[in-house]
Order: sequence, then C-alpha cells, then structure tokens
Amino acid sequence: MTPRTVLTAALGLALLAVVAVAAPAGAAEFDLAQGANGRCLECHEKPDLGTIEVNGEQKSLTVTGDTFHDSVHSRLDCTACHSGFQAREHTAEETEGWYEQAKLTACGDCHADQFAMYRGSFHGGLVVGQNDSRAPSCSDCHGSHRIISPRAPEFRESVLDMCGRCHGEKSETYLDTYHGKSFNMGETSTAVCTDCHGYHEILPASNPDSTVSKQNVVATCGKCHESSSARFASFLVHVDRSTPHSSLWVWLMEMSHSILIGVLFAFGGLHCFLYFYRGLREGLYQRG
Amino acid sequence: MASVESDLRDEGVALEPVPQVAHRAAAAGRTHFRRFTAFQRWVHFFIMVSFSILVLTGMPLKYSDQAWAQTWMGVIGGVQNAGVFHRFAAMIMVSCVICMLGFFVLVLFKSKGRFWGPGTMVPNWQDYQDLKAMLGWFVGKRSRPHLHLDRYAYYEKGEFWAASAGVSIMCVTGAILWYPEVAGRYLPGIVINFALVNHSGGALLAMGFVVVFWHFFHAHLRPETFPMDKAMYAGGLPLEEYAHERPLEYERRVREGTLEEVLVAPVSERRMKIQNVVWWIITGAALLLWAVFSLFVVWVASLWIGSF
Repeated sequence: MTPRTVLTAALGLALLAVVAVAAPAGAAEFDLAQGANGRCLECHEKPDLGTIEVNGEQKSLTVTGDTFHDSVHSRLDCTACHSGFQAREHTAEETEGWYEQAKLTACGDCHADQFAMYRGSFHGGLVVGQNDSRAPSCSDCHGSHRIISPRAPEFRESVLDMCGRCHGEKSETYLDTYHGKSFNMGETSTAVCTDCHGYHEILPASNPDSTVSKQNVVATCGKCHESSSARFASFLVHVDRSTPHSSLWVWLMEMSHSILIGVLFAFGGLHCFLYFYRGLREGLYQRG
Repeated sequence: MASVESDLRDEGVALEPVPQVAHRAAAAGRTHFRRFTAFQRWVHFFIMVSFSILVLTGMPLKYSDQAWAQTWMGVIGGVQNAGVFHRFAAMIMVSCVICMLGFFVLVLFKSKGRFWGPGTMVPNWQDYQDLKAMLGWFVGKRSRPHLHLDRYAYYEKGEFWAASAGVSIMCVTGAILWYPEVAGRYLPGIVINFALVNHSGGALLAMGFVVVFWHFFHAHLRPETFPMDKAMYAGGLPLEEYAHERPLEYERRVREGTLEEVLVAPVSERRMKIQNVVWWIITGAALLLWAVFSLFVVWVASLWIGSF
C-alpha cells in the first residue's frame, strides 16, 4: 500500500460518512416528480417503454430520478426543454422533428450568450446555418438529461473523449505530446483540447479569429507559457510520427531512431547472448 | 577446438619479469594495481543512482497509454512529482558530466596533449582485431581468444562512446524540454518536436543498449567478471591479476617506469567486509533493476515485432 492509496481510502471513507449523514436529507429534497413533472413520470418511469431514434441514436424513453439527481437541470420542468408536449400519449405531430427544432431553441432560451457564441462558431455554423446533423449541437457535448457543470473535474476529464468522437486522429496525436501524456497519467491541470481551441466559439485555424490562428496562437500558448513567442508557438502539436505526410522531418528523425535502435539492440543482444552461451558451454562460470 | 591462428596471444601470456619497483612496493604493502581512483568511483556511483531515477521517472511517460505505466506513475506520486524527481536526477547526472569533462581537461594537461594512443578511450586497430576474434569465438569459428588488452577493452570503449553520445543528446534535448519557451525564443518550434523524439528514443537506447545489453553484461555477467567487477568499489585489484587481465597496460607501465604510481595498498580486511555488504546490497538492487529493465526491453521488442 502506498501513502497515496491509504490517503485515497481514508478520503473515501470520510466521504462515505458524509454521504450517509447527508443522503436522507438530500433524498427528501430532490424529487423529480415534483410539480408538473409528476404527470410525465406517470408514464416515463415505467422501465419497458422502449426507445426512440434521436439524431441517428436509439434513446430510452424511460426517465428515472437517477439520471437527474446530479444534473444541474434537476429542478427544471420537463417541458422547459420538451416544449409543446401534452400530458397524454404523444402524437406524431409532437414528436416528429422535435429534436431538430429543440437543438436550435431549447438551450438558447436560457443560455442566450453561449448560444450566440456557438452560432458564430464552426460547429454552430454547420448546425444552425447548414442543418448539418454531423456537427455537434449543445447536447452532444453537454449531454441532455444529466448535464454536469463544465467547471466540474469530471467534465474536464471527459473533454478528450468528447472531441475524439469526431476528431479521433487529433486526440491520438494529442496523446503523443507532453500535454497528452500527462493527461493520460491523470494530470488534469495540463492543457486539454478546449484550453487551446476554446469551446463555444471554436473556429478553424485558417480563420483569423480562431484561438489557434497565426494571429492568436502566441497568446493562446501564453495563457500557460508566460514567455510564449511566435517560434515557440510554431511547435507542431498534432504530429503523427508514423507517417511522412504529417511532418516529413519528424518522421525522418523517428525512422532514423527506429533503425538505430533496431541495429544496436540486435548487435548488443547477440553479442551478450553469444558471449553468455559460449561461457556456459565452456564451463567458464564454474570457478574455484 | 582448433588451434589459434591469429595474432592474439593465448592463455600463456608472457609477462615481463616483475620489476624491482613492484617488489619494493609489495614489501611496503602496496600489492594492488589501482584500477579506478576514488573520484572515478564516486562519479560512477552518482551516475548509477541518477540514471536509475531518470529511467524510473521517465519511462512511464513514454508509455503513458500502458496500464503498468499508469500504475507506476501513481506509485511515485503522479506526473508533477515524477517531473521533480526527474529534473533533480538530471542535475546530478549533469554534475557528473561536468566533473568528467573537468577530469578530461586535467588529463589533457597532465599528459601534455596526448589524448589518444595506448591506454586512452580512442579505438584502435587492436580493438577491431579483438572484436573480430571474439565474434569468431561466438559463432564457433575459433577457440576462445585471450584478449591482449590495454587499459580499456573494445567493449568498454564502445560503451564509453555510446554513453557519451547518448548523454550529450539527452542533456541538450532535456534542457529544451525543460525550458521550451527559452528554446522557442531562439530556435524554430519544430526543434521542440525533434527534442521530444530524440529524448524518448535516446532514453530507450540508453536503457536497452547501453545498460541492459552492454554495461550490465560486460561489468557483471560475462564469465570473467561474474557476478561483479570489484575494482569499481575496492578501487584496486592484485597486481598479478591485473597484469594477466590487461597485459598491455602493465607492460607499458613497466617500460615507461610509471608502474609505481598506480600501486596501492589493498583495502583493510575489516573495511573490505563492510564494503562487501554495502556493495552486495547495491549490486543486488541493481541486478533486480536490471531484470526489470530486461523484461521491459523484451516487451518493447515484442511491441516492435508485433507492429509489422
């Protein structure tokens, strides 16, 4: 047992104790079925409601308190987002195309600033302007029922997977940098995708307003690296070392290392194994 | 086994008669040949310790996607702590390098500019002959050669230059990665990419080639030294033994009349006993570490072969 595991175990126990004391009070306070939501849950609490296709994904129609209890939206009425639904078996008129409409209005009604930023971003431009369903809308990153605070550590830890769903290659190359390696080792204070690229206002590097454009990248690196400079910021973050197409020079260096390692390991390995083998066969290890 | 047909001498090495100085020195208790000075032994000790720390704190980062690496990183207290240990060990290593450079400058002055030739680290024709003979023995083409060695054998020279090249690269690239913003002020950003590739590849070479295959085998596991070469902690070894092992240096010193300079009294029985215990503990730990490193190298090789 390391000091760290002991500490973790102790903290865990302390946390359990706190939860055990606080839980009954919390459970009494949180009731998804409060107010108008009671009418929805009469049906939607049932476990065997089946699924519905939303944006190409099968989603369960069952809603339970578990999904909501740590969501920042747990006190909202269902109809705050699911507007236009009546408390009866829903008609096709209500359900058809609901998501396509909701993703443009449901969040922005309350989060107008964020939605405006998103609208001007590359992602928002695709979704709002071109109705491209492949680009992410609010819920693709923030979730739908269980929405956690973007300031929560859990949210920060999930960023790489979130972006990686579409930008898999980029998260691979990120993991090959010092940032990515330390992130992989549980160091969440290191830079993740959103620290450099932003979030609501993400733009491609070719756009001068982008956080990673030629004009802004020095300042973006400078958020952490105080004496950032143009040369420093020209470090290639997303390099695939295994192909010459990503960066010819880095690939050449990587290849020459691989060859050197192969040759020297083969020579060193043979030299010592044969030496050892001959020594054994000729009884040189028996002395005295 | 077939008889030896090369220019290498065999078991019966004809030593020059033991000179008068050696007799006089032996009468005064100085029966041992000083292989390494205290300075050299301490530098070796600090390189050994700092190298181990550097590998143990650096390698998990290289293989950060592996479960073993993440577990080990947790044990040593996370990336931030590992970084502190790594930089601390790097400072020890750099200090050793500076000490050695100072030592070379001193040698350069003392030997009046003779930086190559007999007894130095510069490879020569004899080293090539020695290597050829040993390889011949390995593949069964000839009987075991008794190398007619000067102060350093070809495998020691090879290791020295490999390690020197390696440590230079690691120091430069390590400094760039430690202060990337400073590097970026003077050099293009791709140099930081190069530094990453070289620091990571150089680490694997240093650990796999220099330590696992080379240093550990030749200093501990080859039949002549197994389980360890005590000269690295005792400093000296009996004159006859040394003269047999490195006849060229012995002969040269007799000829030049410099033998007496390197004759020392052996460490006292009591001190030897204490040294033995301490060094067996250290060597045991080192052997254990070597076993871990070896397993690691096998694993890396299997990854490499698997990638085809």
